[in-house]
Amino acid sequence: MANTNRTHKGMSYSRFGYIFVAPFVIAYCIFSLYPLLTTFWYSTANMQATTSAFWGFSNKEVYYDRYLDLNEIYDDLSKVDIDSSGYNKIKNFFAAQDYADRYHPLDEDGMTAITSIGTSAGFSSTTISEVQAAVDNQDVGQISTESYDELKGWRSGFSDISLTLTDRLSTYSGQLDAIVNAETAEEGEETESVTPETIMANASYTDFVASLADLQLDANQQILVDYLLTKTSYTSLQEYFDAITDGEASMADPAFYYVISNLNSPSVTTEDGEAVTAIAVPFISDVETYLKAEIWKDTISNSSSYTELPAYIDGSKALTDNMDQLYADIKDLNDAGIINAEVLVIKGGEVVVSDDTSGANFLAVYDKYYVSADTPYQSNPDEIAAAMQISNLGSYYELAARTKLVSMGVALDKYITYEGDFDVDKYNEFKAEVGMADVLTMDKYKEIDEQRMAERVEKAEEKVAEAEAKLPEVQAAYDAAVAADEAAGIENPQSVVGTDSYKAYGDLRSVELQIQKNESIISDPKGVLEEVNAKKMYISVGLDNYKEIFTNKTRFSYVTGAFVTTAVVWIIGFVPQILLALLLSAWFTDTKLSLKGLSAMKALMYLPNVITAATIAIFFRRLFSYSSGGALSASQLVLRAFGDEDGYNFFASPWATRLIVCFINFWMWYGNTMIVLIAGITSINESIYESAQLDGASSFQTYTKITLPLLRPIILYTLVTSLIGGLQMFDIPQNLNMNPALVDFNGVMIPSIRTVLMYVNAAAFGKQDVKLVGIASAVSVLLFIVTTILSIIIFYIMRDKDAAKAKKLMKKGGTK
Amino acid sequence: MSNGEPKLKSKAASIRAYSTLVYVVVIFFSILAVIPFWFMFMNATWDSFSIQSGIKLWPQIPGGIKQLITNWSNLQARASFSFPVGFLNSFIISTSATALTVYFSAMTAYGLSVYNFKGQKALFAVIVGVMMVPTAVNITGFYREMSAMHLLGTKWPLILPAIAAPSTVFFIKQYLDTSLSKEIIEASRIDGAGEFFTFNRICLPIMVPALATQGIFSFLGSWNNFFAPSILLSKNEDKTIPLMVAQLYGDRFVDYGMIYVGLSASVFPIIVVYVFLQRYIISGVSAGGVKE
Repeated sequence: MANTNRTHKGMSYSRFGYIFVAPFVIAYCIFSLYPLLTTFWYSTANMQATTSAFWGFSNKEVYYDRYLDLNEIYDDLSKVDIDSSGYNKIKNFFAAQDYADRYHPLDEDGMTAITSIGTSAGFSSTTISEVQAAVDNQDVGQISTESYDELKGWRSGFSDISLTLTDRLSTYSGQLDAIVNAETAEEGEETESVTPETIMANASYTDFVASLADLQLDANQQILVDYLLTKTSYTSLQEYFDAITDGEASMADPAFYYVISNLNSPSVTTEDGEAVTAIAVPFISDVETYLKAEIWKDTISNSSSYTELPAYIDGSKALTDNMDQLYADIKDLNDAGIINAEVLVIKGGEVVVSDDTSGANFLAVYDKYYVSADTPYQSNPDEIAAAMQISNLGSYYELAARTKLVSMGVALDKYITYEGDFDVDKYNEFKAEVGMADVLTMDKYKEIDEQRMAERVEKAEEKVAEAEAKLPEVQAAYDAAVAADEAAGIENPQSVVGTDSYKAYGDLRSVELQIQKNESIISDPKGVLEEVNAKKMYISVGLDNYKEIFTNKTRFSYVTGAFVTTAVVWIIGFVPQILLALLLSAWFTDTKLSLKGLSAMKALMYLPNVITAATIAIFFRRLFSYSSGGALSASQLVLRAFGDEDGYNFFASPWATRLIVCFINFWMWYGNTMIVLIAGITSINESIYESAQLDGASSFQTYTKITLPLLRPIILYTLVTSLIGGLQMFDIPQNLNMNPALVDFNGVMIPSIRTVLMYVNAAAFGKQDVKLVGIASAVSVLLFIVTTILSIIIFYIMRDKDAAKAKKLMKKGGTK
Repeated sequence: MSNGEPKLKSKAASIRAYSTLVYVVVIFFSILAVIPFWFMFMNATWDSFSIQSGIKLWPQIPGGIKQLITNWSNLQARASFSFPVGFLNSFIISTSATALTVYFSAMTAYGLSVYNFKGQKALFAVIVGVMMVPTAVNITGFYREMSAMHLLGTKWPLILPAIAAPSTVFFIKQYLDTSLSKEIIEASRIDGAGEFFTFNRICLPIMVPALATQGIFSFLGSWNNFFAPSILLSKNEDKTIPLMVAQLYGDRFVDYGMIYVGLSASVFPIIVVYVFLQRYIISGVSAGGVKE
């Protein structure tokens, strides 16, 4: 009855309940729940490609500087009041910055491969430790030139066919990318379009074709020409070119470019290595322009392996995974002359594909090692990863040297060698130093961008007008051509190559496209600033981050290694801590002993728990540090006092390092646990002990039969709180040693005291340019899941006995 | 002594021996808990050269104070950061966060304890549940959120989240459920006081013991916090004491006297506060365990 009464009274005030809890709920949602949900969200994002602007390391201005087409500004410097030397400085600055972003060669897996094959490859310990330091600090600069030379030496002696092929694929990939991307970059620009017609109309073409009649070929040239003609269905060059001129054969045919490029610069040598004299093809660059713009992009896109090249190159796909397709695609591209994947030699009066399996002869190498199933090639993946990583480092060092040589001036050097996160102040300082402090401001960018957009629109409008004026003319021409062709009995003449309608249709289409394209520019002019904004967007990769964590061996080892390290270090600290706390609490509450000075001892033992963990870690670091010189730490002095002349380098041993962390955890927490247990024991009803005493139970019996069972909930509480804290272990290991000894985990060397949070911290907030935010978020989510599951399990165990107790308590409360 | 009726001499003797052993062990662990801090303070009074020949267990006499001051001024002169600034930063963050935690947790606990509203039980269950969520798992989301709010490099990301402290709410609610009598609130209402007046002027003073305990823990937690500040604060002039201490072991610091004076400086204020408040702290720790 009392209950309903209270409820009724409360009702009129209940809205205040909402008001009172509102700040908490709002703050929780903003500062805990929302970030938690976004962390879940980010765990499905490809944040590796995300610019720092998204991540907040810089202001937009910096990125606008970088992505604005500075060349365009340079053309018209008067617009922005930049003197050209200042402009050059800033351009070099961004070139350097871009290089730093793009060529940052620190691939953790590759670096780990170097350390893991370290001893077998004969690397010195300095090299291995420097490579490890580079990984830990996310800074390639940690590798000295001497160590790099050592790596390079090994790399040059290392031979592995699949690596040769991967290197080769990487070159092809670069060539193909350049073709595909060059075209998109030119989009929207007005270029004189090159067509077979314009090429053939040119004197360089007609002269060349005319000269074919008088062409005197030497023996090797003749062999080459005969070989090239086998790629066509013609018997002489003249016949072939006449067919081209007449439209019987097409310049778009892959064979055409293959033929002319081989005439122009023969890739064939005689067996003695003697080169074949070239037959200059003066219009070859026009053909290239035409093919690049019109044909190659499709050819490349149609080779299904093109998009997968990066996977083959970074090793996530093995060369043998889809070898038939890869081989066919490379062959097609080779036959189209787009890439050069085979070595030709003149042998016995004939051009043949060399069976030499040296580097450049991709197809032959592939043939030999992969296509013939009787010699399946086995590679050591670790060595390949290491060798590839060293190649990356090579290009990095080379570029670093080159970038520094560019006349950057002191200011730029200062910037590049600046260590630490991107610092806007530093950047502004740099701008001030090159005398451009208030030139490239945000407002200026907007102004430039708007101006540029306006110009684009204006240009587009002109083009639309121009095209519209042309439209009736080409339309009429097209209609006439169709009518004429149809009269000649051709069905769908516009789709039959060579007809007048076909040509007229092309003209009509291009005019229509011009209108379409420019109208879209007018209706939605895109500025550079907008494009920069687009770069900051989240790119979803679904569950790829998780997939990587669970399938990439190195990543898997790093992540699970961090979890295992955390768990191991926690358990080894927790077990002695709870045992000691149980012992001490038993003594402190033992009435027979009735120890004095309890509160003072409690106060002393609890002290470590209130002290800053970072301070404690630094102190222990000093305590256990090792040096061979005169400066000895306390631990070394003690060892020496016991006769160990050399002392012992604790931090060189992964387990000694771990045990130090365990000891610190133990030391910081036994007082706390003891106090909690004492409180638990003293809350147990006295009468139980009295009756036990009357029954003649010993202290030990009382403890094991009464105290421990009744203390169970408290012990479990300690366990849960310690577990949740333990899984988030960070301060102590982070500060104890930044470059701890490595320990083998699952075949991969991991830092012995890198906990889960340290991994998250390093991945998302490390010094490296590319922040692995997606991976870090996914690891956070895993930590969340692990904690939740463990808490639920422990609660479940706890519930059994406590549920009854809780029910009783609730009943008591009800009857009161 | 409670065993007032010794039955046998030998038994009394064995108990005495046993209790001696117990004393030895207990005193050992009491000393073990504080000895590192002793080392820190002692070594802060020596110069680097002396420390290099072995860690010092005793203060330098005479001249210890002078050396301490020299070490401190060396630290001021050579470190890339300034300890006084660090103390100020830590102090601002910790006091603000504590004030917010204490006030808003009291308010929330009061709302949960005094009023009956729909979803009240569910909300309390959620609060108990989220106490178990590791606070560090949302760091990437939190960082990005702060970056979007342009709060990076400011103290706000370390202060404002203190408004929502689930465990503090939990403990204060437990306290209110047992210690706050509803009659006081009823009486206040009859006298015509508004709900906020009742909370601020009448009930808040009653909660002071619980608030003080929770305030101390909140302050220590905030003061010692390392993970979030290490990620959110990057400039030396913004850093808190734990971050500065962590920088002490850089390559720049080969002067051990400086390291120890820095460590001592970071420990000293906490120990002073602890000496005065240890009674409340320890009863708070005891209460925490039993309540659960």
